Amino acid sequence: MSATTTFAETGQVPRRLRTLVRRAERQHLTKMLALMAPSVVFVALLFVVPIALFLFRSVDNVEIPKYLPNTVAEIGQWHEGELPPEGVYRALTEDLIALKGEPEAAVLGRRLNYSVPGFRGLVTRTVRQLPDTVPASARELLAGIDERWLDPVYWATLKQQSGRITDFYLLSAMDLKRGADGAITQVDETQAVFLSLYGRTLYTSVGVTVICLLIGYPVAAVMASAGPAAANWLLMLVLVPFWTSLLVRTTAWVVLLQTEGLVNKILIYLGIINEPLSLMFNTAGVFIAMVHVLLPYMILPLYSVMKGVSPVHLRAASSLGAPPVTVFRTVYLPLTIPGIAAGCTLVFVLSVGFYVTPALVGGPSDQMIGYFIAYFTNSAVNWGLASALGAFLILVIAVIYLVLGKVVGFDKLRVR
Amino acid sequence: MQNFRRRAGRGSLWQLALRVFVGLVLAYLVLPILVVIPLSFTAGQLLVFPIPGYSLQWYEDFFTNPLWTGALWNSVMIGVATTILATILGTLAALGLHGSKFRLKPVVVALLITPLAAPVVIVAVATFYFFASINLVGTYLGVILAHTLLALPFVVITVTATLQGFDTNLTRAGASLGATPVHVFRTVTLPIISPGIISGALFAFVTSFDEIVVALFVASPQQRTLPRQIFSGVSESISPTIMAAAVVLLVISLGLMIVMELLRRRSERLVGRAR
Amino acid sequence: MDKTRKGLAATVAFTLAIAVSHYASAESITVVNQGGSPGDAQKVAVFDPFTEETGIEILVDTYNQELAKIRAQVETGNLIWDVASVHSLNDAIGCDEGLLEPIDWAEHIDESKFEAVGGFTDCGAPYLVSPGALVYDADRWQGDMVPRSWADFWNVEKWPGKRALPFQPDQVLEIALMSDGVAPRDVPKVLAAPGGVDRAFAQLEKIKPHVLWWKSGDESMQLLLTNEVVMGYGWQGRVNVANRSSGRNLKIVWEAGYTSAVIYLAVMAGSPKVEQAIELVKYSLEAQSQARYAEIMGYPPANVDSYAMLSDENRANQPTEYLDRGMMQAGSLYIGFWRDNGDSIRQRFSTFTAR
Repeated sequence: MSATTTFAETGQVPRRLRTLVRRAERQHLTKMLALMAPSVVFVALLFVVPIALFLFRSVDNVEIPKYLPNTVAEIGQWHEGELPPEGVYRALTEDLIALKGEPEAAVLGRRLNYSVPGFRGLVTRTVRQLPDTVPASARELLAGIDERWLDPVYWATLKQQSGRITDFYLLSAMDLKRGADGAITQVDETQAVFLSLYGRTLYTSVGVTVICLLIGYPVAAVMASAGPAAANWLLMLVLVPFWTSLLVRTTAWVVLLQTEGLVNKILIYLGIINEPLSLMFNTAGVFIAMVHVLLPYMILPLYSVMKGVSPVHLRAASSLGAPPVTVFRTVYLPLTIPGIAAGCTLVFVLSVGFYVTPALVGGPSDQMIGYFIAYFTNSAVNWGLASALGAFLILVIAVIYLVLGKVVGFDKLRVR
Repeated sequence: MQNFRRRAGRGSLWQLALRVFVGLVLAYLVLPILVVIPLSFTAGQLLVFPIPGYSLQWYEDFFTNPLWTGALWNSVMIGVATTILATILGTLAALGLHGSKFRLKPVVVALLITPLAAPVVIVAVATFYFFASINLVGTYLGVILAHTLLALPFVVITVTATLQGFDTNLTRAGASLGATPVHVFRTVTLPIISPGIISGALFAFVTSFDEIVVALFVASPQQRTLPRQIFSGVSESISPTIMAAAVVLLVISLGLMIVMELLRRRSERLVGRAR
Repeated sequence: MDKTRKGLAATVAFTLAIAVSHYASAESITVVNQGGSPGDAQKVAVFDPFTEETGIEILVDTYNQELAKIRAQVETGNLIWDVASVHSLNDAIGCDEGLLEPIDWAEHIDESKFEAVGGFTDCGAPYLVSPGALVYDADRWQGDMVPRSWADFWNVEKWPGKRALPFQPDQVLEIALMSDGVAPRDVPKVLAAPGGVDRAFAQLEKIKPHVLWWKSGDESMQLLLTNEVVMGYGWQGRVNVANRSSGRNLKIVWEAGYTSAVIYLAVMAGSPKVEQAIELVKYSLEAQSQARYAEIMGYPPANVDSYAMLSDENRANQPTEYLDRGMMQAGSLYIGFWRDNGDSIRQRFSTFTAR
């Protein structure tokens, strides 16, 4: 009673009550945060940390400073256009002698070979033939073992790559390199792989997204306008592939698209074609299978938006005499744009990172960025380059999420 | 009048064409999946139509070959462990998110959802590097943790969605009547949000059960899962046993989908009745 | 409360089950190979009899020669595999980088039996030779139309249509040089010399529009069996399997020149089961095991003593008369070349095929 009076008199909550409420709120918040903590820690530890470490590999340059400490310290004395001074030769010789008989020599060689093909052989060969102590002229010693040590290309690489951080992998992933003078130039035409890879990845993803939109939109519209029972059945049909393992679906397509597969047999039986088409291991196969896998991701968000479009708007427009095409273009289409944006984002983002389906149904020249990330991780063991490619992929996806998130709102961009 | 009829006629033709088109698209979505079913019963060695005869030999192979039974067992075990872990973590997080307001909340939500938005191949490669440095590559724990990461967002999303329809006054009422928070949770909150938890758990299970990319990078022969076993078969040469394995995978995931659908309808009915 | 306790007990039991199954099979070693039909043949011809004889169980994993998987295990000391089947390049790199265990094989095995396939390396024991050669359908091409050389393979006027080649530069550059008149034995020297790679690419440029690139051995045979290509490059073992399973008559043109990949067995560095691993490698290289394997797969055995044990039919399929037409994908010149230039050639190959 007295509290109410005080409140009425002063228009303020008494301080004690306010503190109590605050404390209770704080306690409540602490409890809630404690509930969230395990998940947040889990995701931070198993997602944020690995991704950060993964991205760091794209600039990480551990091998050269670690295995050639003396050389890295001395190489600053060297200037382009002349042979390195004896001190630099001596430093390198000391470093390489320390690596004699160690597997680290091969690890260093592998890293240097990324920059200059043949550097690995030069290093391993030199290390094998070095004596145990440095003679009076280290330059003569090295040049005697292999005269490539008189070629400035190798020294320029050592100088450029002497830091703990390198831009080498990121540049490589853009078909760029640093010339002997340190300026950024394009790599040789025969070595330029990645720009066309991004082009192909974008082309395939955009193509798949557009096809999904064109065939998914009418389906979603029919579902949205159907009666509840029919809509439920249609929804089930869309959900069946959605719930089916990606691998089962891809396997099914492998069987169907083979030259002797069902698709060709049916087409020949129907007299549409005479000779079997090659549908596997080429772009056609990749499109057919990827659209199949991703179509539900287009239909579902479209459907959920279209279900919310009130038929009243449409009826109003047509009762005013607008022809169906105009009604569609001026009323229905604009109302469904959030669904289009959400569906396109989902399909595009998922297809940019696709790996399994193109690997199984695609031909060698249909592989997208995901394939190359896996290749450089597993087979070529060039983890820096794999990370650089991954960094670009993440960048593209982040930009799309940000742009579309602004347009549509993040809550609409959820999968499933 | 005539004009109107012609327009209506054109409209129904248009409607018909649209329905045919939708039918074709749905056939494209569903039929290719069904193709694996007859092929798995073939009596022949090759995956061709027409099927020379029917037999259960490939299922026999599947259920007796230790490679396949081992893979099935691994998939189930990893799936169950993932489900338990993801459901507990995700439900707690959803409860915390629902019951609180703070400045960084959108960041927390985004953090918990992003594993879903990142390309799986990146998650798999990053996990591989990370696990390689902490000795988790080729362990059950490693695969389970990685799958839990991918499954967690589904649980958070579904449970959060259920909680949005949940009246917090009910828990306050319970608390004011002297019940302990645990008691309130078990007798009030849990029964109401359980459909959300169950569908989150199903999502989590299917996510793990169907997962292939992470399994390719992180698992070793001991943890060979069913999708991974199918993958190595498909990239090598496809035998009808793979079709039998695919059907087993299909039956399990579609079974779970139907359970999910029934749950959804039940909760819709419940909500409808409450209104 | 009781329910909670039960749930807790179940979780603990489950965790324990996982932990225990990890250590369940103590007397076993894990071998990784390429899987597929060669893997199946290895199980029947080598692993099963080995287990019967020694009681040591063999777990098999498959991989695609991904060196990263070996590296990740060795560098973290978290070994899953004990014995790895590695191709010659991975054998060399893995040995250099300390991923594979250097072993003095002469102590265990009579090395003289393996000289024809290039012998042992510091880490690897040669157990499998896989020749790749010009393959055609003998029911389709007869008499004058039978291709005899790689130059014929390049002859698109006489044999119009597509040709099948593997989508990997090693093997393809080598046969491109053979088509240009380089003797198989000289191919490594010419390839590694300045201008060698350019010469091979120039040669490939000529037939590029007529090539279908395949990614797997299975695919290479499908292309021939379905007549999508007029001839192709294929691996001997695949040809035998394809003929047997489809009743067709694919033939290998040994005299055109062929490549021979050598696959090694090597022990993973730091494996706690080195003893058993060496036992297995010894057993795999014995003449009987090699003959059993060759009989199933149709590959030539690596052990020279095994030839005498082969069936007549099998021996007839071996390139016994054309040993001088084979180019071993081994030796320090060849391996050194691919180790240093492999990455940049693969990039060049990938832009070359995409353009």
